Amino acid sequence: MIFRRYGAFTGGIDLPDEKDKLLSEPIAVADTPKRLLVPLSPCGGPPARPIVSGGSRVAAGDKLAEAAGLDGVDVLAPLGGRVIGISQAAIATEEGFLTSPAVELAELQDAERIVCTEAGRDWHATDPQTLLNQLASSSLTTHRHPLRPLALWARQAREARCDTLIANVVEGQPYVTADHRLLAEFGWEAVEGLAILGRAIGAERLILAVDERYTEHYRNVIEPARLHGIARVAVAHKYPAGADEVLVKVLTRRPVPAGESAVNVGVAVVGAATCLAVRQQVACGRPLTHRVVTVAGDGVARSGNYWAPLGMSCAELAGTAEGLIHGGPMTGLACPPDAVVGPATDAVLCLTQAIGPRRSGVPSPCIRCGWCAEHCPARLNVAALNDDFELGQVDHARGAGVMACVECGVCAYVCPARLPLTHRVRQLKRTWASASGRTSLGAAPR
Amino acid sequence: MTMAENSASAPSKRVTSALLPGRSAPFLHAPEGARTVYLVTLGAACGPLAAGTVIFGWRSLVVAAVTVLTCAGVERVYYRVTRTPALLGRSHAYLTGMLLALTLPAFVPWYVAMVAGAFAILVGKAVFGGVGHFLWQPALVGRLAAAVIFPVALQPAAWPVLAQDRLLVGDIQRCRAVDDYRQWQGRSAPPGADGFVVSTPAAALGGLTTDPPTYSALAYAPADAPADKGPLLLDLPPVNDLLVGTTPGGIGETCAVVILVAGVYLIYRGYVKWQLPAFFVLSAWSVAAVAPLHLAGAGGLASTVWWPLTTEGLDVGFTYANYQILTGELLLAAFFLAPEMTSRPVTAAGQAVFGAGCGILAMLMKLYLQLPIPCYLAVLAMNTFTPIIDGLFSRRRGKIAPSAA
Repeated sequence: MIFRRYGAFTGGIDLPDEKDKLLSEPIAVADTPKRLLVPLSPCGGPPARPIVSGGSRVAAGDKLAEAAGLDGVDVLAPLGGRVIGISQAAIATEEGFLTSPAVELAELQDAERIVCTEAGRDWHATDPQTLLNQLASSSLTTHRHPLRPLALWARQAREARCDTLIANVVEGQPYVTADHRLLAEFGWEAVEGLAILGRAIGAERLILAVDERYTEHYRNVIEPARLHGIARVAVAHKYPAGADEVLVKVLTRRPVPAGESAVNVGVAVVGAATCLAVRQQVACGRPLTHRVVTVAGDGVARSGNYWAPLGMSCAELAGTAEGLIHGGPMTGLACPPDAVVGPATDAVLCLTQAIGPRRSGVPSPCIRCGWCAEHCPARLNVAALNDDFELGQVDHARGAGVMACVECGVCAYVCPARLPLTHRVRQLKRTWASASGRTSLGAAPR
Repeated sequence: MTMAENSASAPSKRVTSALLPGRSAPFLHAPEGARTVYLVTLGAACGPLAAGTVIFGWRSLVVAAVTVLTCAGVERVYYRVTRTPALLGRSHAYLTGMLLALTLPAFVPWYVAMVAGAFAILVGKAVFGGVGHFLWQPALVGRLAAAVIFPVALQPAAWPVLAQDRLLVGDIQRCRAVDDYRQWQGRSAPPGADGFVVSTPAAALGGLTTDPPTYSALAYAPADAPADKGPLLLDLPPVNDLLVGTTPGGIGETCAVVILVAGVYLIYRGYVKWQLPAFFVLSAWSVAAVAPLHLAGAGGLASTVWWPLTTEGLDVGFTYANYQILTGELLLAAFFLAPEMTSRPVTAAGQAVFGAGCGILAMLMKLYLQLPIPCYLAVLAMNTFTPIIDGLFSRRRGKIAPSAA
């Protein structure tokens, strides 16, 4: 068995795929932008301290700023160029866009080869603590939500004694093919990165989870995964099989407590891009300062999968500034004009048909069809939560389990009354979290 | 100012674009809207209407047109006056009118249909605030109002049914009573009329529990039974008539085959969860199978308790329970009226409870209370409990891990 099949889960929905055009489209290098706004706090923590001065020239990979503490990372120049100064850029985090100070680079040089594909340093004999130190001294972040420095992620995983590490390459959302292409083209590098991470955090069980529909494309990862002892699992093509809580429940049978992260049940989850970045850092000593971004939708100038340098403007990448969506269409954010490519930017979409009020319709009263509750992967009665939202009963919503919501967007997708249910449930979660003094949602306290 | 100071003095500021309604995820939407739901249900309801038009003649279409136009017109006028935003769409008014027409007999005068439609919209829907806000199924509110206001027109002692050579074109109001009517099949129309006036099978079954009892037994009359109290089965139509729907009743109530096909289509579309009609019919069947009746005793002197499954054997009890399901308005209520989205519970478990409650209440009313529309009354009664059932099932489903917070 090449990819083991796993059962599905309660709820969820079969979304229109819309990936056909880009599934086999190789990753291209994005056109060199006119300028870059490299964010100093790519994870939303305190901004890094710049160590370059305005007007100086930097080469690709040079350090632009130093981490301000454990919450930050070093910031490197993705491309060579001249430093203009400090300005502002918007970075997508789990909570929405943050405005972060950013180093502005101009007169940029073209990127050389982005991924080092040779056999790198042998890390098998390195002890886990040294690997952790290498990660801690680097500029790496997790390349998916929740965003945080990889060193912090690894420390949390070690402290929680995670015995399982899952590489989540289940890209369930329509249009998005970034992780898929990355695994299809840089499969053995990503798998090696997963093995490095597993050794660093001391996980005994490594799982590579992919979508059952696209296993054809992943033949190149089978041999290296077998070599590193990584279980290959194909999960059912049903959205949101890729939500961390759902995936962990399906693969390990451990239910994630409502409002907590999978780390708390001893399972760490990473993405394909993170694995590739780790492999680059540890085996080749060359940090990854680019990100695979899917540019798709009927409103973009050129659709495709691109290596985009961190800090490139989303509008420039898409070739349009109107109605851009950052991330997948089910969980993404509406792009502000100054949004730049950050570590978690897996897609920049422009869906002119989908975003307007004509298609989404005017919200009407709930007709109590129950489809939201039927399709909710967290088994929530979303219609009752909508009542709680309208009546302002946050405590009642909390009692009904609102913190278990994974914010996948299925309830608002199916709602025949066009109610913004996901938005309302998210509001309930935020209200309850701020009332109870939590700072971070769906994640362990930082 | 150095660059370090510059960056330190500009802390991260939150931009709440993620929380703006209308510009937040998901950016995709399923194509089915509330309007789709109502119009597809309306299309499915055209099946029983077509069957009713064939069986009860062209007057069925007149009744349907009157109720649909009345519902739509009354809702328009009410919207013009009050500007209630939830009455903006018209599709639900059409659906309400159509369902109301299915519950009415074809021979009712036009004003009965009109009053029922006006009550359905005004009392059943508009005063509650329109789509999504009403408590009781509006069509049934209209039907109940009609039954209360026009008891004579809606509850005659015997009901007409068209003869098989006058289907579709016959006038249901030109029917005549005949003495030897046993079954619909094979009978041509009596001279000068388009059909027969016969007693409804529901009325015959209702005669089981009357005081004094009308029947001495179901299938096998005791040897010493009085001559006027024969077995019930002689007064019931053959089961073919019940399946095809050529028995007296409301326009859309009688044709079991078409109701089942249309109902299964609605289940396939996901507009009706199978739990509701399944629990409705099964619980009604179970009650019919175990609830005791009082029949005339041997010699007609003392009434005896008759247990469906034991007294005359399993086969007679089984047939009897099936007759109870197939006669009257139970199937239409289970597949079209009880699953009205707004007035039923939200979750599948809640709908199972709701359906079971409807079935039990309907069969108890049918057996022991001589009420005109027992299944509709049961649905209305359970609609009243919908908010309570919803409250019972408002929590997260399944086994839930303990939360640390």
